Amino acid sequence: MTTSTDLVEVRAGLYHDSVSLMRISQALSSRPGVTVAVVAMATELNLGLAREVGFEIPAAGPTDLLVALRAGSEAALADAAQELDRQFAALARGGPSGGARAETAPRTIRSAARAWEASLALVSVPGEHAFAEAMDAIDAGLSVMIFSDNVPVEQEVLLKERARERGVLVMGPDCGTAVVGGVGLGFANVLRPGPVGVVAASGTGAQQVTSLLDHAGVGVSHVLGVGGRDLSAAVGGRSTLMALSALDDDPATELIVLISKPPAPEVADTVRRAVEGLSTPVVTALLGPGQDDLTAATEKALCALDVPVPQWACWTVPQEPRSGELSGLYSGGTLCTEARIIAGTGAFTDFGDDDYTRGRAHPMIDPTLRLEALGHASGVVLLDVVLGHAAEPDPAGRLAPAIREARARGTAVVVALVGTESDPQDLRRQADDLVAAGASVFTSNAAAARHAASLTGRVQ
Amino acid sequence: MTLGTRTRIRHREPAQGKASGAASTALRPALESPRRPARVLAVFPLGVYLEIRTDVEPFVVAVVTGEATRLPNAVVLGDPLPATSAGDEAAVGDGCIEIGRVTVRVRRWWDPAPALGPLGVDRLAQMLPRFAQICDDSARRPGLDPDGAGALLASGCAEGSLTSAITAAEQLMGLGPGLTPSGDDMLAGVMVALRQFGRAAGVGKAVWMADWLAATVAFDARTRTTPISATLLHCAAQGQACAEALAVLRGIAGHHPLGPAVRGLLRLGHTSGADLAWGLRTGLAAVARLGGSPVPGR
Amino acid sequence: MRLSMLDGEPRVISAGAAVIAEALDQQAVPRLGVDWRPPLPGTSAALAKVLADPRRERANEVAVGRLLSARPRLVGVRPAREVLDLPPRTFFHAGPPIDWERASGPMRGALIGAAIFEGLAADAEEAERLLVSGSVKLDSCHHHRTVGPMAGVVSPSMWMLEVVDDEHGRTAYCSLNEGLGKVLRYGAYGPEVVERLHWMGEVLGPVLAAALAVSGPIDLRSLIAQALQMGDELHNRNRAATSLLVRELAPAIVDASPQQAAAVLRFVNGNDHFFLNAGMAAGKVSADAARDVPGSSLVVAMARNGTDFGIQVSGLGNRWFTGPAGVPDGLYLGAYGPDDANPDIGDSTITETSGLGGFAMAAAPAIVRFVGGDVSDAIAATRSMYEITLAEHPAYQIPGLGFRGTPTGIDLVLIARTGQLPVVNTGIAGRVAGTGQVGAGLVSPPAEAFTAALAALAAT
Repeated sequence: MTTSTDLVEVRAGLYHDSVSLMRISQALSSRPGVTVAVVAMATELNLGLAREVGFEIPAAGPTDLLVALRAGSEAALADAAQELDRQFAALARGGPSGGARAETAPRTIRSAARAWEASLALVSVPGEHAFAEAMDAIDAGLSVMIFSDNVPVEQEVLLKERARERGVLVMGPDCGTAVVGGVGLGFANVLRPGPVGVVAASGTGAQQVTSLLDHAGVGVSHVLGVGGRDLSAAVGGRSTLMALSALDDDPATELIVLISKPPAPEVADTVRRAVEGLSTPVVTALLGPGQDDLTAATEKALCALDVPVPQWACWTVPQEPRSGELSGLYSGGTLCTEARIIAGTGAFTDFGDDDYTRGRAHPMIDPTLRLEALGHASGVVLLDVVLGHAAEPDPAGRLAPAIREARARGTAVVVALVGTESDPQDLRRQADDLVAAGASVFTSNAAAARHAASLTGRVQ
Repeated sequence: MTLGTRTRIRHREPAQGKASGAASTALRPALESPRRPARVLAVFPLGVYLEIRTDVEPFVVAVVTGEATRLPNAVVLGDPLPATSAGDEAAVGDGCIEIGRVTVRVRRWWDPAPALGPLGVDRLAQMLPRFAQICDDSARRPGLDPDGAGALLASGCAEGSLTSAITAAEQLMGLGPGLTPSGDDMLAGVMVALRQFGRAAGVGKAVWMADWLAATVAFDARTRTTPISATLLHCAAQGQACAEALAVLRGIAGHHPLGPAVRGLLRLGHTSGADLAWGLRTGLAAVARLGGSPVPGR
Repeated sequence: MRLSMLDGEPRVISAGAAVIAEALDQQAVPRLGVDWRPPLPGTSAALAKVLADPRRERANEVAVGRLLSARPRLVGVRPAREVLDLPPRTFFHAGPPIDWERASGPMRGALIGAAIFEGLAADAEEAERLLVSGSVKLDSCHHHRTVGPMAGVVSPSMWMLEVVDDEHGRTAYCSLNEGLGKVLRYGAYGPEVVERLHWMGEVLGPVLAAALAVSGPIDLRSLIAQALQMGDELHNRNRAATSLLVRELAPAIVDASPQQAAAVLRFVNGNDHFFLNAGMAAGKVSADAARDVPGSSLVVAMARNGTDFGIQVSGLGNRWFTGPAGVPDGLYLGAYGPDDANPDIGDSTITETSGLGGFAMAAAPAIVRFVGGDVSDAIAATRSMYEITLAEHPAYQIPGLGFRGTPTGIDLVLIARTGQLPVVNTGIAGRVAGTGQVGAGLVSPPAEAFTAALAALAAT
């Protein structure tokens, strides 16, 4: 007979962001004897999830925190509850403030900007609430990076219009990556400082280009993300135009790389004219069929700087798949698109897409869904592993067992490993672990895609 | 340049024995080399100096907190300083710094000599009197009488006379009391200004002068002054400077207001800031002069 | 264009996911974290709409500017029937409009007392019949440039303090304070209450009027500023302000009426709260200056009638937005306890509306025990009010906070965003008509009043 025992608690008025809470849920689930652990804000969605797995949930609202634990024994439950308290205490100790500690933490960016002299704001609150915080930053004369996604396009236009009046830049919404004055914001790699300024409508696109530049010994001045919709007709390239002009006047920037999907036709002209008006040379990487891939664009940039193009690092192992089908399991949307175009065949999934991130963290932080997909893939599997700030601490370690199993099933595994030598995850060790698990590893996503495509023709 | 008072301090230990921070790119070769032993030279409230057992420059590393002056050879920590005292063993290389039981990893690289962008010689000449005025309005003065070796260095640079400049540089090295003698800071300021403004304004003669002074420093500094000061001179010879001095360079270049930047520099140490400011002024005047602009008399 | 964030070392304000903020700390980036929490439930859409209103920022600047620049002066003391639009058989009362049926015990008691005082009824039974019949018309004080503490009942024969705002030329009124214990404003209506009201009408009012004619107007702005520095918060502590007022008026009282001077001065001196009513009229005239700015989300009135807590908003004219009045949490007199307490009542929240009272708690360490807690709670209360106010008062300063101006100008939007409700200091009236005061403490306004007003503002 199996017994199980539940602990359900609503902590009124306690708030933590979803990523922190998912980490706690994950930590609790891995305790011995714990079968289910839900630690989440009591939104309709989360309440529904908890009820579905059979918890009796009392009345609670989205500003309350829900804890629902199930374990095989009272002892295991008590142990999990203790761990929960320890985790919450650790979160509270870390506190919301970093180096600068106010007497009481400000509750809005408006009040933070009044209390402390800042140069920019970074907003990663849930998308429906991002507008208020971003508007505070702009009103205070600060440029703002909006990491949050699901911000309505009308709000994006309003923010960018107000920012133009104030002479500040809006990076985003849905801007995953930026580097300002050497500081990595969001998912950024640890890059050397240097002469290349990047304007990017794609976060992972920017990570690929800047990581390859870093491998070639070339650093960046700034990476200004603009958000995936900036070059749409609705937004009209407002941030792209401003970022280009700012980098043109930036003394550290000698070459600009512009990374974007092909703009809306009416915006393309405006951007082209803006680019022609700059005194700094611009290399444009437009992502799409018939265009240069990111690696080729990086090579163009190196040529423009008179820097020799190196052999992009790769570590290959001989692989002969049992079948010729190709699946791309990606965390980066742009990398996924690039690989799909280059491979010309196969089924590609972008796990960073909104459909997969609703109610869970980005795959660069939480690889669960990708691991599941890897668990039943056959033929050739193409994966990206993106290193850098805020990404998972040891992605290779989490992927390795699944890669080994896939190889044992006769599935070939190819990894595009995007990152630099200085990244916290240690690029070299990540590559070694992936290769040891049986994967072929490429620092260029384009090269990885070509290699994967070639393997489909080498079926046993 | 000094970081603070010279009390012996034991710092609070970070909880996990792991720390991270932002490092000057000047330290990249040392950090990327295989692990080498080092020794704790000195411990201050806001920083710890390590001496690496190597001939490669910079051989002194400053591990500092965010409140400290950001020296060109610094790693700025996001965590509390590790507990250590002078004479303790340490290590640098393989991507990290080990002090006591703490391993410091680099999560950001910053450039101690960022490009200023193109500048006209006229602009440099224009900014000189304003820079001088802000310095003169302050009560802060260099630690050495600039009439001696300082005056010789100033005239040597301005007139493009290598002999005078190098003679003066040799006299200044190690001159004055303290961890970073005034003479070193004055010379450092001149070298930074010659290289940075010379490069930005395309005045080849100034860069050439900076190269010769750099060679002098490379040859002599380790025997003439303290290890910390020798390393800072080596950095200055490459155009690398502390954050406050860089802010003044950017102020001259027009990237932000000059007044607050100069006053920020002058506040450093007992006389270090004023020594550096004197050097930057002298170097700036020389670049303007060598670039062919008539410089107003002083 | 130049972007200031590209110059020098970034200093970042972060709001949202902890993992993103930690990545900045690991890079040793100076950072101030916002203690962000979700907004009040159900306000997201209205918030986005109101925040996007291009009029908002300027409108709030204008509205709060008027509130801050008001220069209230006490110019006279006159009978209500002469100065107010108050025909016979009409009474004004505190809070949003209410009828007899919904009126609470103390409100009913005060209305009964006023009916007896005006000679409309011989005793309580007759007065009650009269009031039940509806033949006495009731209206809100706030509709007539008037405020009244607790029940706030104003009848034609009462004498009113007349306060003029020299900056904007408006006038506001408040009744004379009767003292503590069994008094009309707390719902008592016994013979001693009515007798005192007669004395106030026959002696106190006329003597004060004559004294003011001798002394000339009294500058309430400067008097309030001084009292704050002497330990008053001007709602639950008025001891310093009352003393200052007496010091200003005493010679004139003696000059104007040597016969009555001793009795009048003894009465005023015997009541630490005598100034409260003058302070309330000053608050009213200042807040009224901020009314009717289209698009402004500034709260211009908070008032309770013992049943409802209501607010008015600058951009929403004279509309009331209400929620149930809460029972204050505080200390009780003698044998009274929470069961004897009536829900929150009175217009005295005009002090909080104008940046005093609970908002200035940090200035009044002497009364922190009375309203529960210690000095650090008082400081925390004032600090938390900076999160929901638009400005800091230039004249009203708190010595203990380094002479920082009091948090002034409650913003509906900031309340919804932070979920932080105004801190209100208050007296507690007995639940049963005729009881009088039973205690004093702190009360939290109902959130729905603010969310309803926000929704209405979004619809304008």
